[in-house]
Amino acid sequence: MKIKTLSRSVDEYTRERSQDLQRVFHNFDPSLRPMEKAVEYKRALTAAKLEKIFARPFVGAMDGHRDGVSCMAKNPNYLKGIFSASMDGDIRLWDISSRRTVCQFPGHQGAVRGLTVSTDGNVLVSCGTDCTVRLWKVPRPTLEDSSVSSENFIEPAAEYVWKNAFWAVDHQFEGELFATAGAQLEIWNHNRASPVQSFQWGTDSVISVRFNPGEPDILATSASDRSITIYDLRMSSAARRIIMMTKTNSIAWNPMEPMNLTAANEDGSCYSFDGRKMDEAKCVHKDHVSAVMDIDFSPTGREFVTGSYDRSVRIFPYNGGHSREIYHTKRMQRVFCVKYSCDATYVLSGSDDTNLRLWKAKASEQLGVILPREQKKHEYNEAVKNRYKHLPEVKRIVRHRHLPKPIYKALGIIRTVNDSKRRKEDRRRAHSAPGTIVTKPLRQRRIIKEVE
Amino acid sequence: MGEKRRSTSKTLGKNKRRKGPHLPNSILKTIANEKRPLNSDEEDDEIDSDDAIVDLYEYEEGVPEEESRKNNRYDPVVNYNYELPEDFEDENVESDDDDEGGNSDNEEGEGDDVVRHTRMLQAVTGMPSAAFDGESKRKPVLFTEAYPESEFNPTRDVLEGKGLLTIDELMAPIEGKPGFNELEKRISRMQKDAQAVVHAPLPKPERERLERKAVKGLVDKEFNKWVHMVKRNREAPTVYFNQNVSLGYSTVGAIASEFQPRTDFEKKMASVLNDNELGEAHDEDGAKLLELNEVSVEDQIKYRDHIAKMRSLLFRHELKSKRIKKIKSKTYHRLKGKDLKKSAMGALMDPEMAKEEAMKQEARRVEERMTLKHKNTGKWAKRMISRGLNVKYDGTRAAISEQLQINATLSRKMNSTNDGSSSDESDDEEELNDGSDQDTPSKLIAKAREKTLKTVEDDEVPNSGLLSLPFMARAMKKKNEEAIEGGKRALEEYEEWENSGGEENPKKTAVVSGRRVFGATAKVEAPKESRKDSDNFYDNSDSDNDTEGIENNDLGAVRDTASPARNTGAITETEFDDDVENPASKTTFDVALFASGSWKKMKGCQNAETKKKLKKHVPYSKGQDKKESRDDESEDSESEAEEMVDGILTSASKETYEIPSQAELIQRAFAGDDVVDEFEKEKQEVLNQEVPEPEKPVLVPGWGQWTNIQKKRGLPSWMVREHEDAKKKRTLDLKTRKDARLRHVIISEKVDKKVEKLHTTTLPFPYTSKEVFEHSMRMPIGPEFNPATIVGSLNRPEVVKRAGVIIKPLKFEEANPNEKVDDEHPRSNQKQNPKKGGKTGKGQSKGKSKQKTKA
Repeated sequence: MKIKTLSRSVDEYTRERSQDLQRVFHNFDPSLRPMEKAVEYKRALTAAKLEKIFARPFVGAMDGHRDGVSCMAKNPNYLKGIFSASMDGDIRLWDISSRRTVCQFPGHQGAVRGLTVSTDGNVLVSCGTDCTVRLWKVPRPTLEDSSVSSENFIEPAAEYVWKNAFWAVDHQFEGELFATAGAQLEIWNHNRASPVQSFQWGTDSVISVRFNPGEPDILATSASDRSITIYDLRMSSAARRIIMMTKTNSIAWNPMEPMNLTAANEDGSCYSFDGRKMDEAKCVHKDHVSAVMDIDFSPTGREFVTGSYDRSVRIFPYNGGHSREIYHTKRMQRVFCVKYSCDATYVLSGSDDTNLRLWKAKASEQLGVILPREQKKHEYNEAVKNRYKHLPEVKRIVRHRHLPKPIYKALGIIRTVNDSKRRKEDRRRAHSAPGTIVTKPLRQRRIIKEVE
Repeated sequence: MGEKRRSTSKTLGKNKRRKGPHLPNSILKTIANEKRPLNSDEEDDEIDSDDAIVDLYEYEEGVPEEESRKNNRYDPVVNYNYELPEDFEDENVESDDDDEGGNSDNEEGEGDDVVRHTRMLQAVTGMPSAAFDGESKRKPVLFTEAYPESEFNPTRDVLEGKGLLTIDELMAPIEGKPGFNELEKRISRMQKDAQAVVHAPLPKPERERLERKAVKGLVDKEFNKWVHMVKRNREAPTVYFNQNVSLGYSTVGAIASEFQPRTDFEKKMASVLNDNELGEAHDEDGAKLLELNEVSVEDQIKYRDHIAKMRSLLFRHELKSKRIKKIKSKTYHRLKGKDLKKSAMGALMDPEMAKEEAMKQEARRVEERMTLKHKNTGKWAKRMISRGLNVKYDGTRAAISEQLQINATLSRKMNSTNDGSSSDESDDEEELNDGSDQDTPSKLIAKAREKTLKTVEDDEVPNSGLLSLPFMARAMKKKNEEAIEGGKRALEEYEEWENSGGEENPKKTAVVSGRRVFGATAKVEAPKESRKDSDNFYDNSDSDNDTEGIENNDLGAVRDTASPARNTGAITETEFDDDVENPASKTTFDVALFASGSWKKMKGCQNAETKKKLKKHVPYSKGQDKKESRDDESEDSESEAEEMVDGILTSASKETYEIPSQAELIQRAFAGDDVVDEFEKEKQEVLNQEVPEPEKPVLVPGWGQWTNIQKKRGLPSWMVREHEDAKKKRTLDLKTRKDARLRHVIISEKVDKKVEKLHTTTLPFPYTSKEVFEHSMRMPIGPEFNPATIVGSLNRPEVVKRAGVIIKPLKFEEANPNEKVDDEHPRSNQKQNPKKGGKTGKGQSKGKSKQKTKA
């Protein structure tokens, strides 16, 4: 005879500790749960609202400079260290966790325009309008750093005077070369008093330079003749150059995609290029209403942060046309430099109001230790929100950002101007012979030509 | 003639160079006065030095527009130049006298030049300077051109490709000179050796361009090698950046291995743990451990003593209980029992006692529930609360709250064993109701009879719990008697119904007609009605004829009362509705309730007409007045006709009855039904709801009515216009509706806002088809709907990183040719770290290769 019994193993239902969760058994038959989609939609909506509620991106401001912050450099080897320099020649090392100055690097006579740190985090290179390049030895981080309030000063390890003022400097990834931009592009070695290589293409001065993190011998520069140029140090020659309609203020290479770079342009847009095919941008990132001053990629390569002259910081996805996030405060002035922290969790901005500001890269992210269940919940919320983000209610909440009035107004004006341009174009096309008026796609519109 | 040419050349030069801004004459004059040429070059000075005339900036008339071809008004001419005939020879070539003159200026520097020239020749040829002496004495004949010879102005010889100097020509004059042979040899050697010829370097920009072209290719190649990694990263559903994190020690073992004993105790422990002997003993079989295990004498003694103590205690307890059991004194046991009873433990021990206790508790509960003694209903409590003293004094408040507490504990429902009966009853009722809705009438009747029988038989009085109380018992008894009586009657009725069996149909209509009551009565005499209702129900069970009589009487009476009061006399089934909604049965007995239920069912099944009407009525539960639109007369006649039918039918049960034809039946059934009209009305209503009619403009009383003139004017024109516009708009809207031309269809165009929010207006960006987009949201991802094993992977974000972990830029890895092997198992591979994936890929490839070799 067959007897059906309920079997309930004690092992399955007994908790090891009283803090353990009771095991819950589900029947996953979808016919038992006809409302699952509705439930998830509601959850998505709630998640979107919660995200808005918890969106508090501003972590803190670092106050200490006496002039506008002109440039920053992050220590690639030490998360808490960030270097910043101001227009009065002051260079400081900050401890991000305590948000205090650790030490200062006095010596520059004019504005410091470029700052970079070697990959091992031992050497800081600074250059500026006083025509000098200075090398500093970075102090080892010790435990007392955060507690010591007295600021110590550090003497430069080397000081090289050169012929022209400098606009930017960048250090090679895992090497001992660094490049300065000024009247021309110069490559320096740590141990030489004069540049080991010098490049000039055209007569205009170079305003920004950035080494490729994946390919240490390739670097990109932008010049005041509105050009972007890629150089290869091994061949000691330039490779490509394009001329755009407006000047490029800064360049950033994607650390996870060594062939791709993004240029922060004066016209308020950023242009992502493929280094192999520069005659057309891969993506145009629009949203800023004024010149983009600086750009830095997230180490994950999925996002980049930009600082703009319109007093805002924005975070863009690497392949998205519009920003994911805008950060602004009432007191933040023109942003001159931005950096993404090495763990892709924070964003730093330096602005004209002499302050460095620390932001969370994800506005509603929970900081601190997160328990696994909490983490799972966050992930679920995120996933559900992501799934229903196209539906109007969720979309509205997720996309909503409060904008400062000037930016809001400027956006309106830009929209109007673009609309009228498009209208005019449409009319022109409608009233001329078919095929006579060819419109360039947006991705090529701002590129004048590629120079051979 | 030479002078002439020179002057022409000069003017030519002037023409070339003196193009400048077209200045007004006055300015030109001042410039001339200052004797400063505006754009004088060095060459200018050179040329002008011999004439030394005041140099005037000549104003040049611009070329007329027609000639400058700015506006192509004339036909284009291919070539403006005058075509010279083929045999034309330039006379200029032969004329050399002017050159002689021109050259006279340079004679001063001649001497130096000669010396230098010979020196150069010496260096080139390696021959003594004497060889060239003769040459230097001869005056060289020089041809000068109008412009210095350059790449832009080559000599005519060069242009024509003739007159090129060859080495032989150069060598001819020095033939026979000392060292000539040697030189000739060298030259011939050079001519043979074509490889050694060095070409002139390319211009710098050209050179750089070529260089860049080469570099471009190399850089592209460099970039291309990353493509596979980038592709993999981009296509991965999740990218991991939290791997390879060394946060010091990761395991307990690792931490423990670093442990150094510091204190004495730790050292002692360490010495034992690291004891070689002990370790060996452990490793072998453990037998040696026994030898090592020394137990001290003191410990052993302590343990033994403890056991002995425990034993003696147990023994003593046993003795005591025996002694107590032996005591025969009743007083003692009574007192002991009391003690036990007092304690809650006692109740737990003895089942009888527990029962008693429960009874008492129940009684107390009932009393409490009836009197609400402890619910602050007492005089004292009321006074305290009314004066607010309970707020003021803690003691009072405590007392009051204590009372409430007592009330709560007392009136709490107890789970005694005898409680079930009442709940069972209610359950049965529910069950019955449910059943009555679904079953067929015959079944229902059978069921009902069964039920009634059961209740009739089952008249035992519960002898415990709440119902065992005397007053309750009395009430129960009375109720039971009633119920039994009613039940018996009901049984009879059921029998009759069953007997009538096949002719259920007429029976039912009769019953229905009997139930029909006019709305007037329902409204006027509601209380009486309900009483009558229950009454006539029981009467109903006696005999059909009787019922009918009563009903007819009733009907007549109602009609008498109603007709003078209202002329409408419309039939309303509110009575019926009332009956359904708050039936008298609720108050009477469950059999009655059941009966009414069954009756309702029957009615619903059988009488199509009433059903129709009922349906019509239900939505307009409030709008009873609307029904008055019905024709009074026809209604009356109809009801009468029905009665007649009833009469016939009741007789037909005994006599022969001819079944009417189908069409007739239908006609009769839908006699008063104008379905089309109904539908039109309904449609109109929907239209009015969706496209509401504009409100008629109304003046607020008192406004615009101050004077006669104002009154005469009527409504302001703008109001009228607005109204007209709204009306027009409405008609237009109605016309554009989808169902405007479909007479028998209502297509609602109301937008459901709740549904709208679940739709997107356009297809979102990454999706290319609607189906795919919908599919992406089909399966839920929550932990409630999925097993725990896949929830993690369903919800995983695109980028997994950890705060505080530095992310390094991408490191180059060679493309793994065995990647495709991994793709066969995407499920296992897709969530892996790219780096890890590479490693596992390698591992797999190894495995594969092994397998291959085996095969």
